[in-house]
Amino acid sequence: MNAITTLSRRGLLGSAGALGFAILAGGALKVFREDAVAQEGRPAPLNAWVSITPGDEVVIRFGSTEMGQGVSTSLPMILAEELDADWSRVRVEQVDQGPGEVYGNPVTGGMLYTAGSSSIEGYFAIMRRAGAGARRILIHTAAQAWGVPAAEVTSEPGVILHALSGRRLRHGEVAALPRIVTDVPAITDADLKPRAAWRLIGTDPGRLDIPGKTRGETVYSIDLRLPGMAYAAELLAPVEGESPASVADSEARALPGVIDILRLPHAVAVIAERWETAIAARDLLAVEWTGTSPFRTADSEADLAASQAAAADAARPGVTWASRGDAPAALSAAGARRVTADYATEHTYHAQMEPLAAVASVDADGKGAEVWLGTQSQTVSIAAAAQALETTPDRIRFHAMQMGGGFGRRTVFARDILHDALLLSRHVRRPVKLIWTREDDVKNGWFRPATAHRLEAVLDAEGAVTALRHRVASPSIFAFALPQRWERANGRDLLVMEGAESAEYGIPNLLAEHVIMERRARVSAWRGIGWGPNCFAREGFIDELAEAAGSDPLAFRRRLLANSPRGLAVLDAVVRMSDYGHPPPGRAHGLSFAGYKATLGAGVAELSLDRGTGQIRVHRFWAAVDPGIAIHPRNLEAQTEGGIIFGLSGLLKERISIAAGEVEQSNFYDYEPLRLNEIPEIAVRIIESGAAPSGAGEIGVPMTGAAVANGIFALTGKRLRRMPFTPDRVKVLLDA
Amino acid sequence: MASLTVNGHSVSVDAEPQTPLLWVLREHLGLTGTKFGCGAGLCGACTVHIDGEASFACQTPLEAAIGKAITTIEGLSPSGEHPLQRAWIAEQAPQCGYCQSGQIMRAAALLSTNPHPTREEIIDGMATNLCRCGTYPRIVRAIERAAREG
Repeated sequence: MNAITTLSRRGLLGSAGALGFAILAGGALKVFREDAVAQEGRPAPLNAWVSITPGDEVVIRFGSTEMGQGVSTSLPMILAEELDADWSRVRVEQVDQGPGEVYGNPVTGGMLYTAGSSSIEGYFAIMRRAGAGARRILIHTAAQAWGVPAAEVTSEPGVILHALSGRRLRHGEVAALPRIVTDVPAITDADLKPRAAWRLIGTDPGRLDIPGKTRGETVYSIDLRLPGMAYAAELLAPVEGESPASVADSEARALPGVIDILRLPHAVAVIAERWETAIAARDLLAVEWTGTSPFRTADSEADLAASQAAAADAARPGVTWASRGDAPAALSAAGARRVTADYATEHTYHAQMEPLAAVASVDADGKGAEVWLGTQSQTVSIAAAAQALETTPDRIRFHAMQMGGGFGRRTVFARDILHDALLLSRHVRRPVKLIWTREDDVKNGWFRPATAHRLEAVLDAEGAVTALRHRVASPSIFAFALPQRWERANGRDLLVMEGAESAEYGIPNLLAEHVIMERRARVSAWRGIGWGPNCFAREGFIDELAEAAGSDPLAFRRRLLANSPRGLAVLDAVVRMSDYGHPPPGRAHGLSFAGYKATLGAGVAELSLDRGTGQIRVHRFWAAVDPGIAIHPRNLEAQTEGGIIFGLSGLLKERISIAAGEVEQSNFYDYEPLRLNEIPEIAVRIIESGAAPSGAGEIGVPMTGAAVANGIFALTGKRLRRMPFTPDRVKVLLDA
Repeated sequence: MASLTVNGHSVSVDAEPQTPLLWVLREHLGLTGTKFGCGAGLCGACTVHIDGEASFACQTPLEAAIGKAITTIEGLSPSGEHPLQRAWIAEQAPQCGYCQSGQIMRAAALLSTNPHPTREEIIDGMATNLCRCGTYPRIVRAIERAAREG
């Protein structure tokens, strides 16, 4: 019953005689014998993407972390394709730590950082080359053993063969040959398989992580149990920036099994032999907080009102995010027909199903540790751990655990909970599992920031959009989450602003700008990132422009997409799928074109409304998405479905409010994501354009907001311009 | 020491009578397939069977479980091949997987009392359990498949 026994990933690397291929900087390949390396006393070879055991097992490593998006299958599929691996012999292994120049995702700044649907986008070329390079080494090695020219040697899945002599060797047999030929020509693009030769990419092998998840076997960081481990709970400051001023803990200390109670700058921590003791003791603490934090004045209603005022105040400077032509001049031109509208979104919380937990076991000298954490970034987490212990990253032995959901919650959060787990473990000189309860996570969440949008456009005499200005007022996520990088970002916050560039639309004059507001809450990316709020506002506004131009929402968007064949393809596809514009009686259709980075998408919502209560019911939702190339199509559909549900949940129900600096919500009774009886029937169609593969994790979200808002307009003639569309607000709108 | 029957085995537990069964299963017995999601009976991640009935382990004190048959995801099927587990794989239902033990246990209790539920009965019965990844459509299909294929 020891959960640790399932954590055998590391053991694999020690298996004798495994052949590894290290991808070095610049894509060069180096081959090594793990046993030889070990004999030479060098560090364990952790920088290999693929190794093949004499037992014919192909072990493929992947750099992203698994939070349910399926990278533990889709990334290895790419490598296996080029290697011509026998997929049934593949085992996969996550890279828990390693140098960024070897393993980092080029799309996330070269870090091991899983966010923004960037895994396939960033690793596609790397995994292909790694697989092709490994295949070439196997071919040259077999050719050498057979005494034939390498050019005569080819491969089939799992096998290297010389057709002229009929000789064949399994990959494992090649790996066991006495001399491995490493001096092989470098891989160029011309060496990669043409698409027509793909056997694996674009097919649907079962996700490798799924069987364990049906049996309760998958180990998340919250599940970890170590010999001698103590448990910790924290009473966290009710307001950011506050500290315990006085702590009365005698009752808590009197509970049998309490090991110690420790004051931290932002919390009081209880360490106990058992988890139930830790939380019981926490409830007995009487703590007075300093009460002097500037965040005490934070009020989400007033703060959003200030953002709305700033977005509307043209005199207030914004940081230019995207600019084409001269939108301000077009907007101020005499006689221009201008249309203006304001949109807004409120804070939302990630609500990942696994509450946050970190396990740390600090070394006796206090300057190193073994750490287990479900994280979206190994690089960030290791750095945070090193910082907490005032040590160097090489002293951190890191295990990146399967996450019980991420959605942006687990990017740089290590500086909260992992930091504390390390301090507590060092303090009690034992391994410590620190758990934040659901309430702790809600109250201390890093939320999608509330955003205010002012949109202004010019329509010409033919009803074409000649200018669009999209001003977003919001605090910066980037400045809070990644302060060192923000210093070099010139005020450009992609986490807030991406999507506002409206790149697929042929609008000659466009200005997207960010009015950066003071941060009044902890903020973070939330599934869909900037594209969620920005596409909601933009696509709602596009519907308003269509109305002003006397056009219909579909024809108006087709005209805007005239120079985007990919955009038109997904738009037309979703119209066909949904029979857009012909809803059953009592229902309406709403349309939205909304992508995520290079992945394009369009969605149609079919909805009805209870006019008595204001309750919106989304009955059906159709989506067409173009991810360029779908590596693992069925999983991409699942991601899109999940994103649609995530988006609908946010826009229909989810809202975090803050009063006097304190988060008002606590748990799923006052922050309740959509349940099974509230979701629509969903249909997803993949429309491949053959462009480079882009991401799938976010694409479902950005299309949802305006699809619903525009459906409500079609049904009622009223515009929903502020998320979430809760029944009370819809009712007010209807009665207005 | 309290004596419990978990997955057909009798086990002794040294815990206070009011300790939620969830902590007993997870932290005392190491049966971590049963998950902590909310601690308040709102999400269903901790769903187990108590005398065959789907129950929130987080809302069940240890003393209330004594003398009853407790089944967790680890004990649903000796081989891990309960029809629902097979159907869950066939439909590729899980994403992050964290809620799925509770979903499967909820579905197993549903099918044990209603082997051929209608779609509406599935939706109604499963609305107790939250999933944040949005696997709901596949959960419904997996239950329909398990009911069909047995």
